[in-house]
Amino acid sequence: MQSKMKESDPILEVENLSASTDNLPILKGVSITVYPGEIHAIMGRNGCGKSTLSKIIAGHPSYNITNGDIKFLGENINSLEPEERAQSGIFLGFQYPIEIPGVSNLEFLRVSTNARRKFLNKEELDTFDFEELVKEKLEIVKMDHAFLSRSVNQGFSGGEKKRNEILQMALLEPKIAILDETDSGLDIDALRIVASGIKKISNAKTGIILITHYQRLLDEIKPNYVHVMSDGQIIKTGESDLALELEEKGYEWTDNFIKET
Amino acid sequence: MEIIEKIKTNKSSNNLTEIQKICLDKLQASPLPNPKSEQWRLSDKSKFSNFLNYSFKEKNPKFNAPFPHTSQRTIRLVIGDNSQINLVEKNYSIKQLSEYKLVNYIKEQISCFDQNENWSDLLNLSLNCTKNTLGLKINGSEIPPIEIFSHASSNSLNAKTLVIFLEKNCAIDLLQVNLGKENSSLSQSTFFCLEENSSVNHGVVSYGENKSNLLNSLNVIQQNNSEYNLGSLHFKFNYARFEIRIKQSEGKAKTNIKGMQITKKDEQISTFTKIDFNGPNGFLDQINKSLADDKSHAIFEGSIIVPKIAQKTDASQLSRNLLLSNFAQIDTKPQLEIIADDVKCKHGATISQLNEEELFYMRTRGITLTEASKLQLSSYIQEIISFIPVSKDRWDLLDKLLNEN
Repeated sequence: MQSKMKESDPILEVENLSASTDNLPILKGVSITVYPGEIHAIMGRNGCGKSTLSKIIAGHPSYNITNGDIKFLGENINSLEPEERAQSGIFLGFQYPIEIPGVSNLEFLRVSTNARRKFLNKEELDTFDFEELVKEKLEIVKMDHAFLSRSVNQGFSGGEKKRNEILQMALLEPKIAILDETDSGLDIDALRIVASGIKKISNAKTGIILITHYQRLLDEIKPNYVHVMSDGQIIKTGESDLALELEEKGYEWTDNFIKET
Repeated sequence: MEIIEKIKTNKSSNNLTEIQKICLDKLQASPLPNPKSEQWRLSDKSKFSNFLNYSFKEKNPKFNAPFPHTSQRTIRLVIGDNSQINLVEKNYSIKQLSEYKLVNYIKEQISCFDQNENWSDLLNLSLNCTKNTLGLKINGSEIPPIEIFSHASSNSLNAKTLVIFLEKNCAIDLLQVNLGKENSSLSQSTFFCLEENSSVNHGVVSYGENKSNLLNSLNVIQQNNSEYNLGSLHFKFNYARFEIRIKQSEGKAKTNIKGMQITKKDEQISTFTKIDFNGPNGFLDQINKSLADDKSHAIFEGSIIVPKIAQKTDASQLSRNLLLSNFAQIDTKPQLEIIADDVKCKHGATISQLNEEELFYMRTRGITLTEASKLQLSSYIQEIISFIPVSKDRWDLLDKLLNEN
């Protein structure tokens, strides 16, 4: 399905990736390639390895890559630190965004944004210039300015946390964003705001991987490809109608593919 | 007995003050604290004997404050600089305590001393002469913030005593700064009496240089409806003990304590607190934090005493600790002694390491591990720092000190 001729080089190439934590294999030979402008969706049962894949791409230190490669813009990033990956343009939107009591959201966003800007050889922003930038980005996710003076994610509702993730994505302008169940815990209105935010941020030069259980996010953001994961492997890849079929037939339907593989 | 000889050889017996004589008599009976007692069992013996090793000096070298006296409004005092304090303004007065009142008050305190629990005070008062004692009586309203410095000079043991009477209906912000020079020992004892309806925001910031030591004892008596807020920070001492004893003499008083000790290298810093409710309707909210790195050792022991008379006491004591290295050690023991049956008391302790998930989250936003750890630590410290009555320009210096290796 991904063998079509592409005009540009891939942003992300995950090649036959196997990984484990505490000697427990989690990923067992995952391959996925994302080109500029593409939106990929990864679906699958709980515990199939979707979130692990996203964390490993982001460089979580608890996981060991036992085989395979992750290439970002053609360079192998297996041994890069999480911050180096982030600075170079990989963004992970967390399923459960972490609360950091005592660290102001505004300062956190400013330090993050400047880390990325430094990598891009852009001028770092002082507090005043950053205020201007963040004001503009807040519009994208329809967040109140008051959120900035609070501690990172502390006391935020589920929806507010997810919007804060998309705000960070808007500020960091990543080359590729992996959004892990960004739709979970959102009501219909919040889902639309988040989905519209993602669409505004993405463009023909960026790639997006959406990890989700539900069709409702994919109704808002139509993926080019849908991958079904099971037991640490991608067992089927199709176009957007695969998600619809999955919604209709359930994950039991995919068990047949496992038998086939 | 060495310490007694040291005091005696320093002065002829005839020159000793009445207080010194009383305390020396008490020390004769027990020259050193009992190493098996609850208050001293974890104390590092070699570090403690190093504290006592320096020769005692009464004279104070010229003192250079670590931060400039920028605010016109702030009153700055240095214990032992010989200046007479007699500030009488329209709304307030800050006067030196008469020797008679000072001696009587200290004698009254000594009569209640326990040999082990108050050993640090006994040492302080036996070493100290009137010259290194500052006694203040404060009353009135709209009192400017006060800064009081105590310091130990290099290669010596210095003792400083501070006595403060806060009269009825009076409110102050007081910052006490204890500084230890390289290879020095400072014995600081503070006696604070808060009369009815008075309130104080008391900051105690103590930091030393290489191989400096500190015995810091704080004794507070709170009368009816008084409010005592203490924010404390101790760091950069080879060996330091902070002993806090607070007595709500008739209950119906409010005490809030937020304290922190930061240890690195092979330092040992400990905090001991004893909060005594001697009447009904008392309130306490206490949090003590320790942050231990390298091979250092931080200790917290807290006790809350609620006798039968102290009904309707509402007290909370929490010890939160962060271990930054596999070789660092933290001992913590918050305890309650409750006899009254109609009270609300709770205590707890946690020891953890830097939160890995928080660190990973920050790193996925491009923040380096070092920077993320700093952010996490500063958020941990912030809760305590924000409670200390210190202006912004002072904290720039402290921030720098806290971030030094």
